[in-house]
Amino acid sequence: MTGLARRVGLSLFGPLLAVLVALVISALVIALIGEDPIAAFRVMVDLGDSPSQQVQSIVVVLNRAVPLFLAGLAVAVAFRMGLFNIGVEGQYRLATVLAAAVGAAVVLPAPLHLLVIVVVAMVVGALWAGIVGVLKVTRGVSEVISSIMLNFIALGLASYLLTGPLRGSPPGASIITTSEIPGSGRVPSLNGLLTGLGLAEPRSGLYGFLLVAIVVGVVVAVLLKRTRFGFDLRATGLSPSAATASGVDARGMVVKTMLISGAIAGLIGLPDLLGSQYDYGTEFTAGLGFLGIAVALLGRSAPLGIALAALLFAFLDRAALPLQFADIPSSVVTIIQGTIVLAVVIANEVARRLALRSAERAGASAGPDSGVGDGGTPPPTSPDGGQRVRAGVPGDPQGAQA
Amino acid sequence: MKASARAMALLLAGSMALAACASDEPAAEGGGEGGGGAAAEELRVGLAYDTGGRGDRSFNDSAYTGAAAATDALGGELQELSPNDDASNRADLLVQLAEQGFNPVIAVGFNYDDVIAEVAPQFPDTTFAQVDGSNADGAKGDNVTGLIFAEEEGSFLAGVAAALKSESGRVGFVGGVESPLIEKFEAGYVAGAQAVNPQITVDRQYISPAGDFSGFNDPARGQIVAQGMFDGGADIVYHAAGGSGLGVFQAAAASGNRAIGVDSDQYLTVSDPALQAVIMTSMLKRVDNAVEGFINDYAEGNVEGATDVLNDLSTEGIDLATSGGFIDDIQSEIDQYKQQIIDGTVTVPTTIE
Amino acid sequence: MAPADSPADGQGTAGGDAPLAVELRRITKRFPGVVANRDIELRVRRGEVHAIVGENGAGKSTLMKTLYGEHRPDEGEVLVDGRPVQFRSPADAIAAGIGMVHQHFMLADNFTVLENVVLGSEPTKRGRLDVAEARRRITDISDRYSLGLDPDALVEDLGVGDRQRVEIAKVLYRDARILILDEPTAVLVPQEVDELFGNLAELKREGLTVIFISHKLDEVRRVADSITVIRRGTTVGTADPRTTTAKQLAELMVGAELPTPETRESTVRDTPVLQLVDVTVTDAGERPVVDDVTLTVREGEVVGIAGVEGNGQAELVDAIMGLRPLAAGRVLLGTDDVTAWSTRARREAGVGFIPEDRHRQGMLLDAPLWENRILGHQTRPPAVKGPFIDRRGARADTARIMREYDVRAPGPDTLAVALSGGNQQKLIVGREMSAEPRLLVAAHPTRGVDVGAQSVVWELLKDARAEGLGIVLISADLDELIGLSDTLHVMLRGRLVATLDPGRVTPEELGGHMTGARTTAGAS
Repeated sequence: MTGLARRVGLSLFGPLLAVLVALVISALVIALIGEDPIAAFRVMVDLGDSPSQQVQSIVVVLNRAVPLFLAGLAVAVAFRMGLFNIGVEGQYRLATVLAAAVGAAVVLPAPLHLLVIVVVAMVVGALWAGIVGVLKVTRGVSEVISSIMLNFIALGLASYLLTGPLRGSPPGASIITTSEIPGSGRVPSLNGLLTGLGLAEPRSGLYGFLLVAIVVGVVVAVLLKRTRFGFDLRATGLSPSAATASGVDARGMVVKTMLISGAIAGLIGLPDLLGSQYDYGTEFTAGLGFLGIAVALLGRSAPLGIALAALLFAFLDRAALPLQFADIPSSVVTIIQGTIVLAVVIANEVARRLALRSAERAGASAGPDSGVGDGGTPPPTSPDGGQRVRAGVPGDPQGAQA
Repeated sequence: MKASARAMALLLAGSMALAACASDEPAAEGGGEGGGGAAAEELRVGLAYDTGGRGDRSFNDSAYTGAAAATDALGGELQELSPNDDASNRADLLVQLAEQGFNPVIAVGFNYDDVIAEVAPQFPDTTFAQVDGSNADGAKGDNVTGLIFAEEEGSFLAGVAAALKSESGRVGFVGGVESPLIEKFEAGYVAGAQAVNPQITVDRQYISPAGDFSGFNDPARGQIVAQGMFDGGADIVYHAAGGSGLGVFQAAAASGNRAIGVDSDQYLTVSDPALQAVIMTSMLKRVDNAVEGFINDYAEGNVEGATDVLNDLSTEGIDLATSGGFIDDIQSEIDQYKQQIIDGTVTVPTTIE
Repeated sequence: MAPADSPADGQGTAGGDAPLAVELRRITKRFPGVVANRDIELRVRRGEVHAIVGENGAGKSTLMKTLYGEHRPDEGEVLVDGRPVQFRSPADAIAAGIGMVHQHFMLADNFTVLENVVLGSEPTKRGRLDVAEARRRITDISDRYSLGLDPDALVEDLGVGDRQRVEIAKVLYRDARILILDEPTAVLVPQEVDELFGNLAELKREGLTVIFISHKLDEVRRVADSITVIRRGTTVGTADPRTTTAKQLAELMVGAELPTPETRESTVRDTPVLQLVDVTVTDAGERPVVDDVTLTVREGEVVGIAGVEGNGQAELVDAIMGLRPLAAGRVLLGTDDVTAWSTRARREAGVGFIPEDRHRQGMLLDAPLWENRILGHQTRPPAVKGPFIDRRGARADTARIMREYDVRAPGPDTLAVALSGGNQQKLIVGREMSAEPRLLVAAHPTRGVDVGAQSVVWELLKDARAEGLGIVLISADLDELIGLSDTLHVMLRGRLVATLDPGRVTPEELGGHMTGARTTAGAS
């Protein structure tokens, strides 16, 4: 149990160290531009004066965190099996525009209407990501390259659909949008829940999609940690060769994982779409897919960590406003976000080494008979003893023999 | 005049403070910077930027210049807010400014269309304005004024200048993002060029498709697009591409051709002499004048709401820059067209056929 | 043999006038909760080959890391050429003339020999790589120590022995006078071992000192001038290889009798469990790497495959496991034609697998032991319940394996990376046996495993065989092959070129077949 506690501690250590390093660097930067770092941080954590402002601030943070969380999850699922899905951006944009159009076009009773929109978004996202998986297993195309390229195509396609066949806004309107989704396709806000808890009524609605996101997070956590499929996925991520030897069909896993990652990516735009926008337009929030990479990295690809990372990013995002009121440049927030992501890469490496050392000690203290494991930690080698750079992804000629 | 403005401001600020109290919990205002007290005397202007925020050397900065000029002259406070990187918190900017008691609150950019319509009705005692957003029909609320521009008129003159100066009979237009707003620039430019020379060829291209705002801030792609036009025989390229315009200038400088700037007098804003030399003129969109004018109107109590303030050639909200003296020789012809537009004898289209 | 604290044996006095190349005095290295090295005494004379033997986990690696500057001892002194030194990093050790040839080669496959050798200490002329100078020095080193290296050959084209010589050249290129060789013979066949020992003799003649880490006692006795034995983290004695038998050495090492791989009576039954019929596997270039192989494994039979590495054994294993498609032929498991079956289906049908490279194919190093218990058995209890992982069941069964197979680790939650090679291997064997397979494919089951674990693995294989398990055994350890196999095939360039009686063949004869020097006709 102490070993478990230590591992949990170590897994928290990396992100915490990263946040700390980022705060120190940011404090230095703030001090350099002649502002008081302490005052700046105080402004950032100040949620407002009145209860309603405070609740509103929390709602703003939560509403921002929901899409970030989903984006982080989408990236993380692929990460966990060693796939780098950079295409989340294109997947959610295309999924959102099509889901918005379908949602506006169909007339159905409320729960069914909503379900149709969600399913369309997930299917579109999954199919778009599936292209990447299929290209990888059939043609050996690196998922990094193909997903970046598909981003461009997706953005262009979404733009074409929006300005062409799916256009719902009147000609001449500055913002081009799809038609509005009627009430039966919208997700009600959770403000009733907030007031029911005795909290002040916030000015904007807390996204009902928050609950969906939580469910998705739990499902992904269970899928990764508790199911055979999740085991195969993680095993492939840890060692494609060992997973293949254990009977995992690496090609199938690539496609399945991309489908799941894309399906989650399809959900990213829905909190905004179904909670406040009700249509997809030219001003629809872009870039969430890329932010998701940072969130997944910060959350170490674990659902709970991603939730915390999303909340942190959302919190920092909101903090940019009070900072500006206090005449501190809001770029401080951008600096903090950037340094966190950089620091997390470094801190993860430090934490990994500490974990390794702790594991070695644990192994060493196993029996009075054994010293430090002679096995040590030699890098994975190929059978001929020559060290190869490990591709880290299945589906390459070596990994996909099955 | 000035005294009356101050009195007006005092009155407004006071009433606003009361309104803020009313619209919120009574306890709320105690700790704030004070709806009353010292600040109450001042004009408190809130300015919410669009993507890119302050320091974009374009649109947002221009709005700031106007707002700062007005608050300097009238006395008072100016609070700016930039959105986050993906500008997903536009609504929050307006809410925060209104909640903190800033009045008037000015939103910069047509992207505020939806959110201002959402937020303004929640703060009936705050006066809002939106740069580049129309509220002639009052759909966004009775307390919103649209500050709109006849970009097509200035672009028409840019087209006139380009056609008069072109030796190849081929000119170009680079748009930042495919959108109704930028299409206004394109339509005016094409019409102006064809008014001078019906046979002229106008190459037209957008950097990014609708919904992808990277085209306003991607000099590298701006350069590639413009270079393509110069390679194809165009000798003057007009850009309506925000920050990407820099790339257009670089392409012009590299190929020995010329370019036309947009929004501000870019001859004055670029620091590199090599680029200055290729900026033949700029289509001026005086966001600063519009914002300054609006604040002055507000201070004088002349804002009605649910209307548009149209800035065009007649109000000098739109113009063609002459810095550098490159178009001095054709100034009389340009002035002719200008007068015809103001008189209404020439109608400039706002959409492309 | 002499106790550690009186190192002045016959040879010790002979070298007494010259300072020792390396001397370690009372080295102690602690890790939290464990003393990895305690009061280590080591005296290595200049110009000798000094072997350090001990079981895996005895503390050899810790000791070598101390000597190579990878960590600092908590107590004790390190003397090089009689002078006390303190290494903060391997760079310091290299500067002091100590070089290390790792067991796992650190070579870039797509670089030439020259590039690999100079990598990290490139000679430069006005900021550019001075190829001429590098070539001159490498050729010089190669000639002087008879390494026979072609500077322009691509490393990926080289055999294991050549690669090792490249590693040695790398160290010599950095002007090492003291070479540490970590388990250098683990990856070599007998002929290559002979060549290596020839090279070591050259090094010795040039006055270089070699520290040779091994647990292959016969080899140690052949090559070493003196031997230091380590057990349980401390030096338990030194030995003169000329007067000490392998058996005595082994007893010193483990305090027990040396186990033998020899099987008892034959348990071969009639029912075949595995049949390969005309199996051909081709590489990417359509060249056959397994060429028309036909063999049968019966219940209770161990079929050994001998061969120099790279002659198609790995591909043959892949073909049996379904990891590689066949170009021709059929694979039958019992009476089922499994040629088109996936790896998972084959495993479910009762095939156990001990892969040759456990880090690459057998384990998830960064995962806890209980997850490693699941690996390869993702579809079968006790690891899973329906589509879900049965964590409790997996943990409990991991604990059972650890108990029954003597896997030394704190518990099922320990990361696999923390285990010594032997313990990892015991876990793998235990895991594969838990599923009660019909057929076991065992590739190098005792490679890199200490004597204790080796005997455990051998016993397990023997017991399983007696209960009717069919085993395909691939090994580079000829004693193991001869001792365990009921039938012994020799594989050369993808073909089965000879079938030998393990009861009569000697390791030397077998080695001759493996290199193609002998034919079946001449085997007698």
